[in-house]
Amino acid sequence: MTETRAFGRRIGALEEVFQFLGAFGDREGFDERLQFAIQFVAEELFTNMVKYNTGQGREIEIRIARADGEVRLELVDFDVDPWDPTTAPEVDIRRPAEDRRPGGLGMHLVKSMVDRVTYEYRDRAMCVTVAKRLPSDGSSAGPQQDRA
Amino acid sequence: MFEIERLDDHTIALRGRFDASQEPTALEVFGQMERGLTVDFAELRYVSSAGLGVLFATQKRLSENGHTMRIVNVSPHIREVFALAGFDRIFQME
Repeated sequence: MTETRAFGRRIGALEEVFQFLGAFGDREGFDERLQFAIQFVAEELFTNMVKYNTGQGREIEIRIARADGEVRLELVDFDVDPWDPTTAPEVDIRRPAEDRRPGGLGMHLVKSMVDRVTYEYRDRAMCVTVAKRLPSDGSSAGPQQDRA
Repeated sequence: MFEIERLDDHTIALRGRFDASQEPTALEVFGQMERGLTVDFAELRYVSSAGLGVLFATQKRLSENGHTMRIVNVSPHIREVFALAGFDRIFQME
């Protein structure tokens, strides 16, 4: 079953976002490591939408579901121009500190933490979906170090 | 809940969840630190890229002035995020 809730277009709504996702994770028995990853990914996508989409003041919708051995998270932003965050330039994490720039790190981490990130744009609504496979015991599937 | 406490001129303790909504407060406190710095993560449960950005900017500024920044008592989850960001090579973590 998919759970859906809409949140105000402001960074201050993050606390409500975390409560919503945390309650879902608790009901599903997700461990702390998986909950960390879900909330991290949601924050990155949500704050990007707040910062870079105009959205005409409409709320951002978040949907979460567990199905087919994975957890799926969708963020939908209505009445916005097309903007695909999944095409952000790759970040070279091996660069020394003096050559690093902060931009793009959030999406790099999102891609590193989940198995699939997809973007759709239709009828002036953008939807970013992330999916993360659950381990056979149904609990945690934390960040994947080998994909960094 | 997030708390940032400046314990002395060299030490800051972070507690709770360091997300994007806490960035302005954290920037203000970290911006006041001008010497070698230890950041205690013992009670920090979560950090996002916004938090990482504050820490990175501080590390860079201090390093340019010949100082070092140390992060101590890092939880396994947060250590993994640092590794994914490549920050485990940039920060001195204990």
